[in-house]
Amino acid sequence: MAGGGNNRSRLLLVILLVTSLFLITLDLRGVSITKNSRNATQSFLAPIQRGVSDLFSPVGNFFSDVKNFGKTKAELRDLKRENAKLRKKVILNKDTTGQLKKLKNVLDLAGRGSYKVVSARVIGKGSSSTFSQTITIDAGSNDGVKKDMTVMGELGLVGVVKSTTATSAIVLLMSDPTFRIGVRIARSQSVGVLMGEGDNNYTLQLLDPSGSIEKDDVLLSLGSDNNRPFVPGLPVGYVKDVKNTSATLTQEASVRSYSNLGSIGVVSVIVKSTNGGPKDALVPRPTPTPTTTIYVTQSPTPEASPAQSSKAKN
Amino acid sequence: MIQEAAISKINFPISGFSLYLCVLLGLMALEDQFGAIALGFIGGIILDLSPSSDSPFGKWSLILTLVGYLFSRNRESIGDFTERPVAFILFVSAGATSTLLIFLIFGIILGENNGAILNNLQTVVGNGIWTLLFSSILLPGLVKLRQFTLTSRERI
Repeated sequence: MAGGGNNRSRLLLVILLVTSLFLITLDLRGVSITKNSRNATQSFLAPIQRGVSDLFSPVGNFFSDVKNFGKTKAELRDLKRENAKLRKKVILNKDTTGQLKKLKNVLDLAGRGSYKVVSARVIGKGSSSTFSQTITIDAGSNDGVKKDMTVMGELGLVGVVKSTTATSAIVLLMSDPTFRIGVRIARSQSVGVLMGEGDNNYTLQLLDPSGSIEKDDVLLSLGSDNNRPFVPGLPVGYVKDVKNTSATLTQEASVRSYSNLGSIGVVSVIVKSTNGGPKDALVPRPTPTPTTTIYVTQSPTPEASPAQSSKAKN
Repeated sequence: MIQEAAISKINFPISGFSLYLCVLLGLMALEDQFGAIALGFIGGIILDLSPSSDSPFGKWSLILTLVGYLFSRNRESIGDFTERPVAFILFVSAGATSTLLIFLIFGIILGENNGAILNNLQTVVGNGIWTLLFSSILLPGLVKLRQFTLTSRERI
């Protein structure tokens, strides 16, 4: 019996392995069945995902909030009892206020760049176990979002729309290892290619060997034909470190992005951009350091008494 | 659903945790050879259907079918997991780490760009550590669920 069971398992193993290999071959040959099945799943899951996302929204920064729980259990119990209802409201309000603030910043940036945008909430994030960096947003083709549109956050570029369904879209984040974007250095106008590395670090490769690149240089998107996939003039990141190696033909630099991709809650998809883009209008200006102004006022001198003044007259 | 809407949004130190892999591998470890292979394939197809997955359709099912087979082969030598919880947790954590490593190796064979090796290794190791920590909470419940769903014939 055991031998029979083993044979049955081996037969199943072979059948399933062949089926998997068949599916991989179909996918790599570009058969639309596999892609359509993913899109169908996305269409089906998006509304449920939105609900689950709303439910778990305050959980997002769980680990950063853990340090605030250093108080004693008794104190916490008292606080919980007193503030149970209020806390719920505060958490929800904080979440909403945070999202509103981010949305305002995104719209500010989009307004300065004269971009026509569709704003969306992030309702899902691709699992790290897939080694690809994606997010799911709650705006889709019904809202005018199409494949290969630029996605921006409150501080600059976030990624590009990879696929859409009627009510949602998958965005490939700029940190994905397969992500490439043409960029322009605002100061020297040198052109290069920025590559994602899977985390918050990026590599910039200048196309012109004689181009100039310095630390803290601001990088703007170069733009594509018909503004897809990238609109021009959008802040991408800044140069963190210039790699001076004689071994490479082109200059390289480490870059840090403006957008914190680990904590994005609201994004905007650029559906239309003005001809020529905003040029350098979106280059982030350094925040002016506050100067202290001291006003010196003369302290009033004590007035001479009438007796003293009469003496003086004499 | 919970994985993408909640777990992936948590900024775990080192790297993320895959609740789905942890539960799936836990269930596979409790099955016999036939069940582990079938469960691996079905679990893989579900992962392949995930819209955020960027790998070729069928890659996860291929890997998890293989892992299911390897799981059942090794499980036979360890014995019944319901009586050895520590071995169970270690087995599932090692399984999660191996699965991701196999996924990476297959990606290299298929010519995919998965980014810097150091980053990927960090993801694999981080996932293993988090699976080790969380599986001690999740797996006892999973064993109870499994026992609850057994038919009276299977219990005997």
